[in-house]
Amino acid sequence: MTAVADAPAAATTQRRPRASGVRPARTLWLFAAPALAVYTYFFAAPALQTVLYSVTDWDGYSAEFSWVGLDNYVGLTTADDQFRNAALNSLQFTFVVAIAQTLLSLGLAVLLTRTTRASTVLRAVFFFPAILSSVAVAFVWKFVFDPELGPLDPALSAIGLGGSGYLAEPGTAILWLAVVQVWAHAGQLMVVFIAGLQQIPEMYYEAAKVDGASRWQRFRYITLPLVAPTALIVVAYTTVQSFKAFDLVLGLAGNPPNPPLDILATRIYAGFADSRFGYAAAESVLFLVLIALVTWLQRRAISRGADA
Amino acid sequence: MSRLSRRHFLAGTAAAGLLAGCALPGTTRAGGAAPGGGGASGPALVPAPARPASGEISFAHWRGEDRAVLDGIIAAFVAENPGAAVRQDISPSSDYQSTALLRIRRGGTGDVFTAFRGAQFVDMVDAGLYGDLSAQPFTDGYLPRLVRSGRDAQGNQLGLPYQYVFNMPLVNTDLLAAAGASSAPADWDGFLALCESLRGLGIAPIAWPGGEPANAGQLLNAMVMNNAPTDDMFTAIEAGTARVTDDWFLTTLRQYAQLAPYFQDGALGASSEPCQQVFASGGAAMLATGSFHLTAVRTLGAAFPIDLIAPITVDAGAARHQGVANATFLVGVSTSSEKQDAAVAFVEFLSRPEVASRYANGTVQHSTVAGVEYTDPDLRATARWLDAPVILAPRFQFENLDIRSAVENACVEVVRGVPPEQAAESAQTVVDQRRPG
Repeated sequence: MTAVADAPAAATTQRRPRASGVRPARTLWLFAAPALAVYTYFFAAPALQTVLYSVTDWDGYSAEFSWVGLDNYVGLTTADDQFRNAALNSLQFTFVVAIAQTLLSLGLAVLLTRTTRASTVLRAVFFFPAILSSVAVAFVWKFVFDPELGPLDPALSAIGLGGSGYLAEPGTAILWLAVVQVWAHAGQLMVVFIAGLQQIPEMYYEAAKVDGASRWQRFRYITLPLVAPTALIVVAYTTVQSFKAFDLVLGLAGNPPNPPLDILATRIYAGFADSRFGYAAAESVLFLVLIALVTWLQRRAISRGADA
Repeated sequence: MSRLSRRHFLAGTAAAGLLAGCALPGTTRAGGAAPGGGGASGPALVPAPARPASGEISFAHWRGEDRAVLDGIIAAFVAENPGAAVRQDISPSSDYQSTALLRIRRGGTGDVFTAFRGAQFVDMVDAGLYGDLSAQPFTDGYLPRLVRSGRDAQGNQLGLPYQYVFNMPLVNTDLLAAAGASSAPADWDGFLALCESLRGLGIAPIAWPGGEPANAGQLLNAMVMNNAPTDDMFTAIEAGTARVTDDWFLTTLRQYAQLAPYFQDGALGASSEPCQQVFASGGAAMLATGSFHLTAVRTLGAAFPIDLIAPITVDAGAARHQGVANATFLVGVSTSSEKQDAAVAFVEFLSRPEVASRYANGTVQHSTVAGVEYTDPDLRATARWLDAPVILAPRFQFENLDIRSAVENACVEVVRGVPPEQAAESAQTVVDQRRPG
């Protein structure tokens, strides 16, 4: 009985061995402390501060404010057509960009994985837009989209699709914005995919060839499953990047943009510019929740796809 | 320290840091006003300019295109005040619209600063940012009717509008003559007839940047100036005493629909830079933005004579206004400045007629300073508008950008083909959602 009674006590006093078997020295905490302090001060505290602002009517500059409870959130979710429009635009934009950009960058990566002189040049060409600032990209595409002077309209008119306002048409403007976003970032994510593809051992492909697998079968049963973890990173990154495509929209359409191009990031900015700091903070919190939700759903969908 | 207590210590430290970092910026209203709060006791008077000025000051503004001219003016100021220096802190206009208030209030930037007339000026006044210049003798050197936009509700002269721009279309007078018009039409029917004649020449009558809200909205100024029953039409809409669905605004929207065929192809998706190119190349007779684009179109190679033109939307006898102007670029001295002496001295320097002349001719903007001599040919050609019956640009009466955007977007929707009543209803919904209270 004594032995049985003593066993739990022994278990609580005896420390569980670490998986690595190495116990960090106490002084190692000192190395982490500066990073923790910086993270707390610059990331965690402002995030919590935003939550606090979101239940006030602070205008962004006054020394006084009032607590308004959940009024900002109630207003946003029940009586704000501009926020609803921006949320729908953001979701549509992110959905299109996440799919198109992932597929395009994967396709480019598959075509350019082998290191040859031509593929090196082409990789640089496709990567080039990624080094441009969003403002420069916006300025260039303003002219591309211009129906009078831009090259896009004559090209589309030649196949009977021209004459549009492109960035002005409700429903399609956000798709044209997605075209710019994909153009600007597909090359960057192509590089990530190339790194993932180059990790796949060549012997798998050789064995599959010996077994008579076609090019498509090798892609379907070797490349796709093994590149899935990279795809997960690319999709998650693309999602967050698309939700935050703020400077591109601002450069193309100004502040605040016309409703067809208004996304959540620009809506929040408009709130700050309008001295509705508390309200914009509430928009920011909902924005954060939406990104977290979409990212979580994506991870689940991709994980299930990979398991299947 | 045991491992458990160390963890607690770290968690406690982080929590304390978070709580300290999350402190809100002031007090709740029930707790009374905090120091530095929004000007409840009236704006602080700034000191008289010291002679000679000394120390480095920051001049915050959004006019990147004026940098070179201002550099020259600053050099002259420094030559007169060898101990002084002026640094230009320039932000793009959209960025300045959004962040200037917070940056200037924090100090270090914008000892002398500027504001857009309208929402930004009101916010900056409410924030107590403008020092009161009322007692400064140099404010008497401005044209009295043009400096009103820099006053607060009590009549204190807080900002000095340094630019006088015309927010009405530029017109290529050669094309106007080719269309058989010797002068601007005096009524709406005449304006539509002019547009039809211009279209007959095979050009776009009006280049309108419908895809760029900031410039698309400039045309609205002229479209409402005579339609609205009062000159404070947009203040009334924001206050709820007028509605976007009122007859006068519906009339305006119907007139936008009539103008739709006369805008350049794809106007709804166009931004101002391509519109400037179309106008500069003679592909459009009018550029529906304002005199602030004169320099740009000249730079793009426009060699034809340019004047200003505003559509008169009513019968000739019923027109109260012939054009639209805006007294903006409201220069002021920051109450957060630690070098107010030098800042006031710089504003005094800017207010001298010879300095204002240099600025006006160098930047091709008219001035609000009395006694300015215009040597630039475009400024001379349009100087007659300085004495014309113009209205201060109504769109800057809006103090809420979302409300302004909704009202202006109703015009864009109508040009797209949406019925005026439906566009007005949609805009009114946003106005109701955004209106304070």
